[in-house]
Amino acid sequence: MRGGLIAAVLAVVVIVRVWGRRRRRTTGQRQTHGGLGPFTSDVGLVAAREMRERFRGKIFRVGTLLILAVVAAAIVIPTLDNGKPEPQRVGLVGALSAPLRAAVVSSAKSVGTTVHFVSVADEEAAHADLRSGRVDLAIVEGRELVVNKPIGSTDISTTAQFVDAVSKNLGIVEAVEAAHLTAAQSSELAGARALPVHSLQPGAVKGATHTTSLIGLVLIFVMLSQYNTWILIGVMEEKSSRVIEVLLAAVRPIQLLTGKVLGIGLVAFVQASAIVVFALVLAKSVGSDLLHGTAPVVLASTLVWLVLGYAFYCWVYAAAGSLAERQDQVQSLAFPLSLPIIFGYIMALTAAGSASPSSFFKVLAYLPPTAPFAMPVLVGLGKVTWWEFLASALISIVCTVGVARLATGIYRRAILRTGGRVKLRDVLTRAAG
Amino acid sequence: MSGLLELEGLTRRYGTLTALDGLSFSVPTGQVVGFLGPNGAGKTTTMRAVFGLTDLDAGMVRWNGAPVGQAERRRFGYMPEERGLYPAMRVAEQLEYLGRLHGMSAIDAQAATTTWLERLGIAERADSKVDALSHGNQQRVQLVAALLHGPEVLILDEPLAGLDPAGIDAIGGVLAEQARSGCCVLFSSHQLDQVEDLCESVTIIDHGRLVVTGRVDDLARSGPRRLVVRVEGDRDASWARGTAGVTISEVDGGAARLVLDPSVESESVLRAAMAAGRVTEFVFERRRLSEVFREALK
Repeated sequence: MRGGLIAAVLAVVVIVRVWGRRRRRTTGQRQTHGGLGPFTSDVGLVAAREMRERFRGKIFRVGTLLILAVVAAAIVIPTLDNGKPEPQRVGLVGALSAPLRAAVVSSAKSVGTTVHFVSVADEEAAHADLRSGRVDLAIVEGRELVVNKPIGSTDISTTAQFVDAVSKNLGIVEAVEAAHLTAAQSSELAGARALPVHSLQPGAVKGATHTTSLIGLVLIFVMLSQYNTWILIGVMEEKSSRVIEVLLAAVRPIQLLTGKVLGIGLVAFVQASAIVVFALVLAKSVGSDLLHGTAPVVLASTLVWLVLGYAFYCWVYAAAGSLAERQDQVQSLAFPLSLPIIFGYIMALTAAGSASPSSFFKVLAYLPPTAPFAMPVLVGLGKVTWWEFLASALISIVCTVGVARLATGIYRRAILRTGGRVKLRDVLTRAAG
Repeated sequence: MSGLLELEGLTRRYGTLTALDGLSFSVPTGQVVGFLGPNGAGKTTTMRAVFGLTDLDAGMVRWNGAPVGQAERRRFGYMPEERGLYPAMRVAEQLEYLGRLHGMSAIDAQAATTTWLERLGIAERADSKVDALSHGNQQRVQLVAALLHGPEVLILDEPLAGLDPAGIDAIGGVLAEQARSGCCVLFSSHQLDQVEDLCESVTIIDHGRLVVTGRVDDLARSGPRRLVVRVEGDRDASWARGTAGVTISEVDGGAARLVLDPSVESESVLRAAMAAGRVTEFVFERRRLSEVFREALK
């Protein structure tokens, strides 16, 4: 695990350093706008500044490490649990015949655990051991099973499954003994296997894909919230510090805005990719089942929708930032914008655990504000075809173009207006005109 | 380098308020032009209009006869009234970035940054963050941001505001040097004495309209003749109060600043002063720029 973590972090650092050096070397040697038009060159300069400043920031570094730690925990902890199951401790009061002992061992094996027998002096001592947790189950004279707390029908813990299996198997052994069957008949009964049951409805979501979906959802939510807020604050700070006048004396508003969203977006994509690569490397190295089934497809879909979601929201947040001039104005502007993100996230979290998402949720997968959350979940559930995925992506791209046009109009009108928060109605009227 | 920046019929309205009302004037290269006017006259709006930072309702800005667009503006330098730099960015890095946005190569931007920081005496602050600098040094950095790329036109909004005498001398020297090298320099200021020292020409506007424009020498020489007369023992210049065709502009420590009507001969004033006592000072004086300014705005 540690090797995977170090490798992923080193990979990100090396990529960023090499990219920065190559850029410095090439830009130092060529005259500005050498092979590029002034538009793309200026956009590139603005984007490069944004990336440089963000990569340097403590928030980025600490935030990345925190996310990696959470992802590592989500991957490694389940494998620790699966790899070394706790043995079930069984307290024996009195003797336990060989067939019964074999039935207890067989019961443990059937629920994926092992058993450890402990001899207990009497029932009182067994009760004390149960209360203190030293044993999970007490068998009194091979005829009575005692547990500390009652086991409910919905309890799916290993101990509950073990106790249930022991209860049934010891009963069968007793019944076999009572029936005075021959050894061959007893052996035949012991080899009995339950018949498989097929259901018409699909079963619950498989663990690995579910975990991957959840990791993807949290990743999209955290990154959309974080990076869009950066855009909003970045635009507001350029306005409040008045550096915007100096910048716009040299470049067009559309260049400045495009460079900003592109630069911050690339930082987001690099971070998300690093997290996904880290998750995959770590999952492979610790033998997690994260890579099994449709999980890699879910991860890829998560990255696609992270890009599409960012592309849609970044313009909206940039336009909002151009209306504000102070931090307190930012708060009041960010809240309504975050509502569709929170709504989509909660709906997707709910749907990710269900076997059959509602029609309403499927509709959300085609709406650009909620699609970044809903569509990867549908992919994880296997409830979407490739052309439905593509259709949703195209709807999102078309809407993003429209939103970007409107947002740049608002930005252009509002960014140079100072002296208080600009009213949206004012700039919309002018932007449309 | 030679050229002419022409502002033609600039009009800008904010609702019922008219900030610029068909304003037209031109700024030649090779001289420092002062841009004057009372608060709210439209100076900042005019300067922002040159850079497309305000939408004009009418009018046009031309450089060498061609309309000013993005390509031309990249070759202009601008220092806005409200200083604007990234507070948390390091000085040299920020200047190089701004230079590159104006079309410089990375190497040229780096070299020009070093040269200008040394020229303005702040080379040792190259790696400091902007918000760690004093007001005066931030002002110097802001000026470097406008100069870095060797602009053909330099537009500076109140570049001397809040500076100590050393700062004023440093920035004033740079502006004069830029003009001598063929740059077109227009700067606004409320400090008329400094404008008079620095500028060869001034343009005065009020209510978004041109009031007067011309060379400082010509404006100073124009208008009624002025005399400064000091009569021993008459600190209030009471001798001048009864003299026909003479208006007392100011009395300072016994020296009377007099404005003469065109019909009045200076000899008659001298005779009147000599009749009042011994004349210790009798000097013809040019109009000060502050007087030009006040009289233009009457």
